[in-house]
Amino acid sequence: MENLLANSPEARTSPVAPLNGAAPVLRLTNIEKVYQTKTIETVALNQVTLTINRGEFVSIMGPSGCGKSTLLSLMGLLDEPTSGTIEVDGRPVTAYTDKELANLRNLKIGFVFQSYHLINDLSVVDNVEVPLLYRKGMSGKERRQRALQALDKVGLSARTAHFPGQLSGGQRQRVAIARALAGGPEIILADEPTGNLDSVMGEEIMDLLLDLNRRDGVTVVMVTHDEQQALKTERVIRFFDGSQVS
Amino acid sequence: MLRHLFTLIWNRKRANLLLISEVFFSFVVLFGVGAVLITVGKNYLAPQGFESTQVWRLLVRAQQGQKMPRAELDDVLRQVKALPGVQTVALTSGNLPFTFNTNNSDFTYKGRTTPFANTYDADDHYAEALRLHLREGRWFRPADDGTHHRPVVISEDMRQYLFGDEPALGKIFTYNIPGKVTKPEDEFQVVGVVDNVRMESDFSAAIPSVWKRLIPYDTTHWETAAVLVRVAPGQGGVLQEKIARTVAGVTRQWSTEVRVMEDDRQHRRLFTLVPVVGLCLMGLFLIINVALGLFGVLWYNISQRRAEIGLRRAMGATGAGIGWQFLGEMMVVTTFGVVLGGLLAAQFPLLHAFDLPVQPYLLAIAAAAGAVYLITALCAWQPSRLAAAIQPAVALREE
Repeated sequence: MENLLANSPEARTSPVAPLNGAAPVLRLTNIEKVYQTKTIETVALNQVTLTINRGEFVSIMGPSGCGKSTLLSLMGLLDEPTSGTIEVDGRPVTAYTDKELANLRNLKIGFVFQSYHLINDLSVVDNVEVPLLYRKGMSGKERRQRALQALDKVGLSARTAHFPGQLSGGQRQRVAIARALAGGPEIILADEPTGNLDSVMGEEIMDLLLDLNRRDGVTVVMVTHDEQQALKTERVIRFFDGSQVS
Repeated sequence: MLRHLFTLIWNRKRANLLLISEVFFSFVVLFGVGAVLITVGKNYLAPQGFESTQVWRLLVRAQQGQKMPRAELDDVLRQVKALPGVQTVALTSGNLPFTFNTNNSDFTYKGRTTPFANTYDADDHYAEALRLHLREGRWFRPADDGTHHRPVVISEDMRQYLFGDEPALGKIFTYNIPGKVTKPEDEFQVVGVVDNVRMESDFSAAIPSVWKRLIPYDTTHWETAAVLVRVAPGQGGVLQEKIARTVAGVTRQWSTEVRVMEDDRQHRRLFTLVPVVGLCLMGLFLIINVALGLFGVLWYNISQRRAEIGLRRAMGATGAGIGWQFLGEMMVVTTFGVVLGGLLAAQFPLLHAFDLPVQPYLLAIAAAAGAVYLITALCAWQPSRLAAAIQPAVALREE
């Protein structure tokens, strides 16, 4: 019954309602993001208010340039809003220092990008270890163990010593997901994770994200252009011209 | 993190080869310049072993093809010594301090041989004229006239070569001429040991030295007499003129030349300083070029790695952490270059190249490594700051 409710159109398009009474893990209130140059002022996000609850799989949709990626950057604490507040686990992060934000990103957030962003000169396992390098007090042995576990989870145990250039697009994205998972994040922010993949590989990646969400309870926020994939998620948030439309 | 940086640099070794080569060559140049500077500086700071201030050198020359009668020469020396303002007069061989004349030989004692040592002829007043510092024994004296072996005074380093830590006084050594029977006049008996001396220039190292007592009343080889004249403070041209007139008063057949030893010293100093300064300037220009090259390569490197910077920020790196990472990478690259350069430089002390002691080479290796690390850190500093300031959201969006 809960699953049915979660997949109902009402639930999918509700921007703020917490599902199943779950606690909000990310809350954005009256967020405005304006890019300003000497001559032009561009409003990328206009008065956006939304909540992401723990264990949710939310997709964000909208045409190119509507502010989806900017929103994801703000959610990932990679950028600061021009106005409005961002709360992580109920605590506003507006006044956080660079170091505190970096620590929060490292502990709570995993990123998956359309173009993978793997470091070509590092082996698969070394790539997956990257977020763990910034975790204080973790030994090299533990890092390696967690990286191997993450690779096992995405089915790439046999490719640990390969380099990104030796992998297919789908495999690269799996490595990127393993990297996001290695740190044990509460939230995965995926920016068009299937955008560079063919439909079969796209499905594989989507299944992997759904599996992580359902089996491990990882909160996933995914930017996508693919309506079919968005429909598989619990909630769809739509944007147009910097504003949340549904 | 350090292991990660080494892995990253090692995996990018082809791309980093140029940087490593630049660091390697910089290290080698700095090591070379450093070894020269340290050697020269160390020599400069070492005691000279004698006092050249208020010492003049008087050269008296007989006419071409003629020799000076010793009695007449002694008369000249007596009259010069009697001049007011002259403290001591000493007859010696032509290899005076700070001149380009050298006399050298190697010697042997019970199977031990020495490297080439400077040999000087000296009379009984030589030590007083140059204020040599006696460590053991005594200087020559008239009583030595009757000795069977030729009395000599040796420097401390010469003593070490010949006798090690054994006592030197009274021992007899000879020229090192294997297979030849030694003549009595070529057997030298040690009567004294003086401090090491550096008579070539302010920047030269001490050379083992032997002072042989001038054979009294020898008339065989005095075509030119080299005389050391120690004068009272404040003496100048007037006394020089008087000395020249005094010599002319004894005989008009001889010519004279009086020079201040300090002038010779300054002149000789230039012969070392000019090439050393030239070498330093060349090294400096080379290092500036290398530094500019490094700066450019790093700048380019960072512009090529903006996406990686954005990614690392997203994964939990702070801005400062990114700056330190780039600085750290440069230090790792530098380490590869320094290790390679160090391996080459280590051959110099191992092979005792240029007969220099080990210490200046080791100091030069340490100084060159320190300087290369400093230069690369300075070159990497600004690009690293730039990397630290890159906004992660912008860098990630650019891809």
